[in-house]
Amino acid sequence: MAMHKYHLLTLVTVCTIFAIPNIFAQKVNEFPKKTDPLYKKVEMFDRLMLGNHWNEGAIMQHVIFPPAGLEEPIVGSQADCLDPTSEMLAAYSHKYAITGDPKDRKIANDIFEAILKLEKVTGVEGLVARSFNRTNEPLWHEEVFWYHEWHQSSSMPGYRWLGDLSADKFTSIFYGVGTFWELCADAEYKEKAAALLDRFIGRVVDNNFKLTDLDGKMTLWGNFCPNLPHQELNSLEMLAALKVTHHITGKERYNAAYHMLIDRYHYDDHQINSKILFPKEWRNVGDDYHAARSLYMIMRLETDPSLLNKYRMNLNRHWYDWKDIEFTWESNIWFLMVYKVLTGEDIFTEEKKQGIKDMWGFERNTKEFKIPQKDGSFKMVRSEEERTAAAMIRNYWFGRYYGIIDEKW
Amino acid sequence: MKPMKAFLSFLVLIISLQNVIGQEKPSPPEGMVYVPAGEFVMGSTYGDPDERPQQIASTKAFFIDKYEVSNAEFAKFDPTFKFSPEKKNNAVIVTWSKANAYAQWAGKRLPTEKEWEKAARGIDGRVFPWGNTYDNTYVVWDQKETRGTSIAKPASPYGCYDMAGSVWEWTADWYKPYPGNKVPMEQYGETYKVMRGGSNFNNHSFIRTSQRYYVLPEKIHVYPVGIRCVKDID
Repeated sequence: MAMHKYHLLTLVTVCTIFAIPNIFAQKVNEFPKKTDPLYKKVEMFDRLMLGNHWNEGAIMQHVIFPPAGLEEPIVGSQADCLDPTSEMLAAYSHKYAITGDPKDRKIANDIFEAILKLEKVTGVEGLVARSFNRTNEPLWHEEVFWYHEWHQSSSMPGYRWLGDLSADKFTSIFYGVGTFWELCADAEYKEKAAALLDRFIGRVVDNNFKLTDLDGKMTLWGNFCPNLPHQELNSLEMLAALKVTHHITGKERYNAAYHMLIDRYHYDDHQINSKILFPKEWRNVGDDYHAARSLYMIMRLETDPSLLNKYRMNLNRHWYDWKDIEFTWESNIWFLMVYKVLTGEDIFTEEKKQGIKDMWGFERNTKEFKIPQKDGSFKMVRSEEERTAAAMIRNYWFGRYYGIIDEKW
Repeated sequence: MKPMKAFLSFLVLIISLQNVIGQEKPSPPEGMVYVPAGEFVMGSTYGDPDERPQQIASTKAFFIDKYEVSNAEFAKFDPTFKFSPEKKNNAVIVTWSKANAYAQWAGKRLPTEKEWEKAARGIDGRVFPWGNTYDNTYVVWDQKETRGTSIAKPASPYGCYDMAGSVWEWTADWYKPYPGNKVPMEQYGETYKVMRGGSNFNNHSFIRTSQRYYVLPEKIHVYPVGIRCVKDID
């Protein structure tokens, strides 16, 4: 019996020793309850995101905690980090527009600075990375997640960055930075935001409407080119980017490019079919998110009734699917908010309002990660991980800003 | 640009017609199609810099697989190769050395870039295997069944399927500049192999017949790269 007690004590001691670093590694551990009011859930997920996902201002889409992950820099899948980064930038821009609190503006400024760093780290003006890590050594997750497009930075020693930017991250940039410019940035930051879009979109225009990587080749998903076959959605994204950049920079070249793509290449007609409706299995809500962000930006800026009508036709094709969509994913909820903002139609039934109140961020899970070793073998390591709540937080402040969400919810 | 392209295409057409008329068409082995010897338009004037200069290239006659090699076919060569039964007809995804070993085992070899491009676009410099117009239904964009199952099932001029989309396809060649290409790229040399044809996970332009992409032969990560073999004609 005494022997069993001894073993039990040893087991508890060992468990405690291994658990302590985990507790310290997880900066924020407090989760809301599902029954909490919406504002409290948002507040707590916001703390989790800023505490655990903050990568020098860029926001991680996925965090793997030690021992599989690292304390510094934090690691996880990083290919889509510009999505939560732009969502948090938009969230804090909307929040600042409501609160006027300098602390909120400071957080937005810091996130924007991280997007500038995503450009600086590549060493090429206007070339923006998908993500970065402060490290001199390649990290194990580079070998496993996404295409191996990691580079050691020559312009920022001690950093590595992920290339091969795609059309959806292009959309994240003009949506996030455009919203920041519109609602939050002071004069200094307005200038910085305009300059960033000028360099970033300008480089795409200069490369015949292609996102080109460090090697000079078009990226795998970087095709908006009038001379190359591309998705209808990409035509919409390019028009929206040009509209926003012209609005923000005031430079005529973006207006000229916008009208050239319309007059000579009929992008305005092409974009109408951004939403593939049939065959039904080809419907893609992931793509809808990029369309929603593009339509939200372009339809508020376009004044030509004929072009507005064409963008509305695009929106209507999306609405055909969205009107019946399951209200379970944060981006789905945002589609409907965007539809209401753009059309003024009152589409929020009690059931849909409840769907907004029930919004949720993420659960923290435990998973076994297959970590490549230097000798070519793999080691299985069990660790906690968490995804992102940035879309939920953005939805909340967007909804508050447009009067769709009541602050008491 | 367009008159030049039209002239090149016409010239190649005339030369090739002469060649074709003079050639006897041998019967291809099962599952393969015949590509006659002769010249064709290779490269493009509008794609990435590595596709230039557009040129008239030529190949000997050869046979090429009608479809990409499937998981089930690859498992005959490597019985340790694992796949779920419902994916037996999916195109196999393997490293270059495994693809090369499979080709040798099958009494075939991996195609050169020239052979691949000619088999995909024929002699007239077309953008896609079926012509110059893009259509979603012509391409295999999902992983459910990746052999000849696009909705419209268009073939290349010589009868090959899925040379646009599905999985990328290995070539035998290192990634090197075409003769006369003056645009420097540090990736040129004998580090990367060329894959062709695009996959179900990239934008539409990557399925063009002249599109080139480079990848480390033994570290393909998440690039879906498969196999289509050629066979010499004795």
